[in-house]
Amino acid sequence: MGATIWKGSIHFGDTDVPVKLHAAVKEERIQFHLLHRRDQVKLHQQMICAYEKIPVPTEAQVKGFEVEEGKYIIVDAAELEQTTPESSRMIDVHEFVRTGQIDPLFLERVYYLEPDVYSVGYNELAAALREMDVEGICTWTMRKRSYLGALQARGRILRLTTLRHADEVIAVKSLGLEDIPLSEKELKIGSDLIAQLTGPFQPQKFENEHQKKLQALIEKKARGEKIAVLRPTRLKPTTADELLQALEASLKKVA
Amino acid sequence: MSQKVVEIAGRRLSLSNLEKDLYPSHGFTKAHVLEYYRRIAPCILPHLKDRALTLKRYPEGVEKDFFFEKRCPPHPAWVETAEISRDDGERMTVCLVNNLETLMWVENLASLELHVPLARAGSPETPDSMVFDLDPGEQADILDCARVALILRDLLSRLGLACYVKTSGQKGLHVYVPLNCADISFEDTKTFTKTMAVVLQKNYPDLVTEKMAKEHRKGKVFINWSQNDSSKTMVCVYSLRARETPMVSFPLEWRELERLAGEGDPERLQVSHGEALGRAEKEGDLFHEVLVKKQRLPHL
Amino acid sequence: MAVQGIWSGTISFSLVAIPVQLVKAVNPGRVSFRLLHDKDYSPLARRMFCPKQEEMVPPEEIVRGYELAPDRYLPITDEELESVSPERSRTIEIVEFIDLNEVDPVYYDHPYYLVPLKGGEKPYRLLVEIMRRTSRAGLAKFVLAEREYLVAVKSTEGALALTTLHYHDEILPDEEISPKEGKVEALETGRMKKSITTMMADFNPGKYADERREKVMAILKKKAKKGAVEAPAGENVEGEGPPDLIAALEDIMRDVKKNR
Repeated sequence: MGATIWKGSIHFGDTDVPVKLHAAVKEERIQFHLLHRRDQVKLHQQMICAYEKIPVPTEAQVKGFEVEEGKYIIVDAAELEQTTPESSRMIDVHEFVRTGQIDPLFLERVYYLEPDVYSVGYNELAAALREMDVEGICTWTMRKRSYLGALQARGRILRLTTLRHADEVIAVKSLGLEDIPLSEKELKIGSDLIAQLTGPFQPQKFENEHQKKLQALIEKKARGEKIAVLRPTRLKPTTADELLQALEASLKKVA
Repeated sequence: MSQKVVEIAGRRLSLSNLEKDLYPSHGFTKAHVLEYYRRIAPCILPHLKDRALTLKRYPEGVEKDFFFEKRCPPHPAWVETAEISRDDGERMTVCLVNNLETLMWVENLASLELHVPLARAGSPETPDSMVFDLDPGEQADILDCARVALILRDLLSRLGLACYVKTSGQKGLHVYVPLNCADISFEDTKTFTKTMAVVLQKNYPDLVTEKMAKEHRKGKVFINWSQNDSSKTMVCVYSLRARETPMVSFPLEWRELERLAGEGDPERLQVSHGEALGRAEKEGDLFHEVLVKKQRLPHL
Repeated sequence: MAVQGIWSGTISFSLVAIPVQLVKAVNPGRVSFRLLHDKDYSPLARRMFCPKQEEMVPPEEIVRGYELAPDRYLPITDEELESVSPERSRTIEIVEFIDLNEVDPVYYDHPYYLVPLKGGEKPYRLLVEIMRRTSRAGLAKFVLAEREYLVAVKSTEGALALTTLHYHDEILPDEEISPKEGKVEALETGRMKKSITTMMADFNPGKYADERREKVMAILKKKAKKGAVEAPAGENVEGEGPPDLIAALEDIMRDVKKNR
């Protein structure tokens, strides 16, 4: 179990449930650094003045908001500090919504909630959310940032999922997709094909094989062996005319 | 909210929020904006073609926040794009407004103003025109810009260079010198325009400055030669501007500029969307020569 | 010109292959600042710097490296990285379909959309429609940059949405967090339920603005009235210009002035 990230108290009506936040996900991946090809020295990032082409140290950097090309409003640290939300230990639940109403596009990061030492009401809250099949929409402040989130019960555990703000989500509409007519036959065969290929979700079946292969490649190269370069291949696209034929052949293959 | 699906050149495009008041004090809605660009398309499209578009979007209208977008936002597959290198070396995908449907798509995103570089995306370091961006400082106005533009025209014509003028649609004027030659660089055009600006400043110290800093610009016309740069963009001719009323960056004939400068009414130097459409539909593209005329900077 | 998103390739299921590109589904909040040089407000660009040669390194001289030991790196080229799973770097192959309701949202990582490339419009539309009808999502693996992702592709409002999923072993177990005793006070649960009932609403994310962003925008607006600072022109052009050009222009200038 991960360390406690933050402590706070879930609040609504006359309910208060003190909890501790824990990460729900831990990612481990192979880290790469950027090197100078010539001498294989690790490179650093450096901010360069676009005008004088010289490195600019942190103390000579200011933040500007571009209002027009090349025109900036300068803000200093003190001004930005004013916008930092007041620190609080309250996870304020504003309302409850039916489970399933939140489009997964809004979901950002999941935290597990652990009852804090003297917490009462944790089990009851989990039971109430579970039995009513609802989740709470809440806001809180953590590490000088305010968050919007959903309070959920999963089994006996409470979770807090941070949510994106409405204007951060790009609407499907903006993609400008065309509506193309399909024949009933194409749809029928396509749907049958999906039915044939459907199975239960078994995440443990999928391993990060790539990570292992990459590790093997690194070891091989470190031993001084030559790496065969393989070109990625592209599949030949199925054209609109071939679609029905491809579906029929697919169905035959899996049936 | 109203939504309308239109089909242009066989491509379907869904237009939204058509009744949104984008110029509230003028009752000019998104539908009006789309209609303006649809009608001006024959004139504006050749000037947008193959240039990396910078969108200046006003989703809530001209009185509210706007944002610049250089990177092409999520787009239908038929929108043509180009890959360009940014200043920091990173690659970026930009939109090319090469047809009416793309123009309509861009306007559906409320990009009231269309800004493009002086070079085409395929040859980003080769300017096809040179520009003198005349920007009046405080206590100067578009009439002062007109005086400077007329002096510039005389100077350029003695160097054997034709030039063309358009309103910025705000307070200034833009003088374009068509080049359309493959062997010119922004370094050449920047050096040339800066030198011209320096000479003009020396000769007309009360009228002209070539210095960017605000304190030098009071009561004078700033010749912004630094626009001759691959990283800079100019508002496209025939683009709307996001001011209180929908004004247009519109080409003027030199004779007309002379006359208007003589009349002394700065307001007469502004071209509204309605006037722009009327004139463009009658007279065609007055800026056409900027795209085709081949000229070389004199080797002095 | 070719359309380029974050990635472009093919999504396939069984024998059907659809050319697509991957595009963003979410945009981080809008207030972004540019770092500027304090003395002249020139924008700053991020560059890679070699501490040994004390010089800026252009992109073509940069290579990825794996740290074998402190300060000892093994360079790995992009071609080598692509060779690890070449079949997956250009294809999102749906290996099976699932009911997305079976997926615990804790697996969700980052959302994208897929949009069809030229010629792929019809099969794309078909996949959207049959996944909608059957309420199924496709599972696939594909490689982006140096990472392999497990992804779920689903139908949403006529488009394909792709969500990267965490791998099973990246999900931390929650058993230890489980409350010690499973005792539930029914009376207390009932009281909470009453309270919840009075607070029921429909999910409307637009209601919750990002307050921080609004505060930043308010400050910017106030400051905008006082005017913005300007960065100098793209690069430093020294002096006044070539002397012979100045001389020639001055000549013409005299002539122009005489005739005005």
